[in-house]
Amino acid sequence: MQVANKLSPFFENLNFERDDNTMVINFGPQHPSAHGQLRLVLELEGEQVVKAYPDIGYLHRGIEKMAENMTYNEFLPTTDRLDYIASTSNNYAYALAVEKLLGIEAPRRAQVIRTALLELNRVISHLFFIATHALDVGAMSVFLYAFREREFAMDLMEDYCGARLTHSAVRIGGVPLDLPAGWLENLAAFCDKVDYEVEHTYEALLTQNRIWKMRLEDVGVISAEDALNWGCTGVMLRGSGVNWDIRKEEPYELYPELDFDIPTSDRCDSYGRYKLYMEEMRQSTRILRQLIPMYKETDGQLMAHAPQYISAPKEEIMTQNYALMQHFVLVTQGMRPPRGEVYVPTESPKGELGFYIKSEGEPYAYRLKCRAPSFFHTGLLQKLLVGTYIADVVTIIGTTNIVFGEVDR
Amino acid sequence: MRKYVPKDNVQKKAYYTDRFHVVPRVPREKIEEGSHFANVVKTVGADIKESYVEIGQLVLHINPEDNFKVIKILKEQCGYTQCSEQSAVDYLAKDNEFELFWQLLNVTEAKRVRVVCRLANGLAIESIEPLFNSANFAEREMFDMFGIKVNNHPFLKRILMPDDWEGHPLLKTYPLFGDEFASWYEVDKIFGKEYRDIIGPENRDPAKIDIKDTKRFSRVGYEVPFGAEYTEEEQEIEYSETALVNYNKKASKTLDERR
Amino acid sequence: MAQHQVNYASAAGLPIALTSVDKLVNWGRSNSLWPLTYGLACCAIEMMASGASRYDFDRMGTIFRASPRQADVMILAGTLSKKHSEFARRLYDQMTEPKWVISMGSCANTGGMFNTYATVQGVDRIIPVDIYLPGCAPRPETLQYAMMMLQKKIRKESADMKKNTKQDLTNQTGKRARLI
Repeated sequence: MQVANKLSPFFENLNFERDDNTMVINFGPQHPSAHGQLRLVLELEGEQVVKAYPDIGYLHRGIEKMAENMTYNEFLPTTDRLDYIASTSNNYAYALAVEKLLGIEAPRRAQVIRTALLELNRVISHLFFIATHALDVGAMSVFLYAFREREFAMDLMEDYCGARLTHSAVRIGGVPLDLPAGWLENLAAFCDKVDYEVEHTYEALLTQNRIWKMRLEDVGVISAEDALNWGCTGVMLRGSGVNWDIRKEEPYELYPELDFDIPTSDRCDSYGRYKLYMEEMRQSTRILRQLIPMYKETDGQLMAHAPQYISAPKEEIMTQNYALMQHFVLVTQGMRPPRGEVYVPTESPKGELGFYIKSEGEPYAYRLKCRAPSFFHTGLLQKLLVGTYIADVVTIIGTTNIVFGEVDR
Repeated sequence: MRKYVPKDNVQKKAYYTDRFHVVPRVPREKIEEGSHFANVVKTVGADIKESYVEIGQLVLHINPEDNFKVIKILKEQCGYTQCSEQSAVDYLAKDNEFELFWQLLNVTEAKRVRVVCRLANGLAIESIEPLFNSANFAEREMFDMFGIKVNNHPFLKRILMPDDWEGHPLLKTYPLFGDEFASWYEVDKIFGKEYRDIIGPENRDPAKIDIKDTKRFSRVGYEVPFGAEYTEEEQEIEYSETALVNYNKKASKTLDERR
Repeated sequence: MAQHQVNYASAAGLPIALTSVDKLVNWGRSNSLWPLTYGLACCAIEMMASGASRYDFDRMGTIFRASPRQADVMILAGTLSKKHSEFARRLYDQMTEPKWVISMGSCANTGGMFNTYATVQGVDRIIPVDIYLPGCAPRPETLQYAMMMLQKKIRKESADMKKNTKQDLTNQTGKRARLI
């Protein structure tokens, strides 16, 4: 047994020799909590956190600089990798920002398909949230159940665009592909399954569960004013009582015509947010069911008609000469949007995802800034973690639903 | 002689330019009388240099010294309680200035305002962190990416790049692939400068083909075993023999017979 | 594609002769590879999906361990940024022998689509890799195929620890595996 004394102190005892007696631990960039590369330096007083310093940037890939060196269409697949859990929502936010800059609107069938994909991605993201949050808190079987549902949703996405995770399913001006045969029937069956499972599996396992309630109630409490001040959006804001959803307040796509509710909670803690995620999944399936009959009433145009910015459909490119020439120029040189700047917010499953694009008329954006909801939620951790126990740290990281592709970009 | 490449803006440029092409502008609308935006402009008062509505959002141009004052008025008197976004645009090559913007949101009215100012190179901007805590991380990111210093920020340190990084990546003078410091950063950090030769430079060319690399490429007709030396000996290409046609037989004899 | 019947008795026609002790040890090692959870970006989601309900990873005997001391395989899934590279190497060094590395996805193989200042252009610049797994993101079945490839590779190795050690960086160049 080694004996510690003043002449040969051990490193683990050094801190206790100090007057303020706090222990600094490193919640490293690699840890089993499934959220990615977050490094938290926590100063602990016993088991309580006194100060928390989140260190990010371990997934910084220079996406904004890439946008300055790629044409607008070339950059679209890169936006997939921002919030890689619900890829189409990032693609759509970027495509909407460019469309607002150009002043064009997607045709009706493309709008139906895009709204359906957005809501499907919302369900995918919320399923992932409940899977990883429950896994962190300790309920491991919910992880397997949620991933089972998620596999069905990813089958749907794969049927449509060919990729499970990084979709690029949306283009600037519309969608590139029409729905395959039987997709809408599979979607309806999926909606029924999700509704059934949300009620009979996730809520049955978790909502009245004593351990779940003890771990989540009054953990991660943030008032409405603080939430607005710290830049929280999405469920973090609605969980604190602020009734703000961009789909209702600044609507885009087909949301003005669809009938859905925005659940809000006054609880301000993690349990309220968990219930909101479950309720949002139900609202998403409600939206999806409304979209299924709307598809048949639309005519077949999938991309907007704006020959200066957008290529013609493939049949015309393969047969008409001028369409081929224009497509060639647009692909090799890139389209030149008007000069100006635009900031377009959309409601991604994580919060308010917005793109600020400043264009100087060149085919390459002069500046592209991605407003990522998880970036500000990670900043919020500086305040949320103070005064909590170290077991609650994992719960709070899970409830803020951060994904590091968008935090670090 | 090496072609002259200007170093003050290394962003990729369009290869073909049309000198008769007039670039259109995103339309800017005037502010309607009596609308919410008109009230905002009136409340903020004399600090506004220019104001218009662009794509449904109000844009206010101000001087950089007034940013705290204007944003305080917007927060307390006009109800813009959330700062969604703030960042900078690099115009050093053109005007030797940065263009900073703050994107504010009013939750009760569902309206957005963008506050824009031009900051000369070398000057610092006042932090709005006392007003909006979201500026804590956002201003750190602006400092990290552009080098714009922020006064009275509680913790102005690099956030996305490592702490010992040199250079500010989003400046137009910074190349996309990174300068020399960036390209050797991980080798120097982990192994030390001596290992630069052992590990070799980064391969930034996605289409690089090395004829002497026998582990990833094999040349048809000159195949060698995996990892062996590259040789110029020709190997026989053996095709399979099918029931009807023997592809291994030379075609010339058939052609001679036909002639 | 995959060989479902594995013949542990034969040495698969190799020039080296495997003793029965080797075969026993390799059988044990290959059938219970414990990966280190090193999910960095999007590929981590596919790695989680491969360990979840539909593509069950547990049937190969893998259990994802968080501590490097308890893990055999390090599956680098996702983009390695330069800020993180130091920690990746540190975790690799902390893993105990015998250890293998699977580089999953284009970002880990070569830097992928992120040809920028902040991305390490290929994890093999700092960590010696055994199996490269292409894709963006690769399907869970691809990751399981890579794991089976690694199992085949392990079964060919000699159980002698000294021959397989990966400590010296300079003798790595001869050991790079082929792309699948």
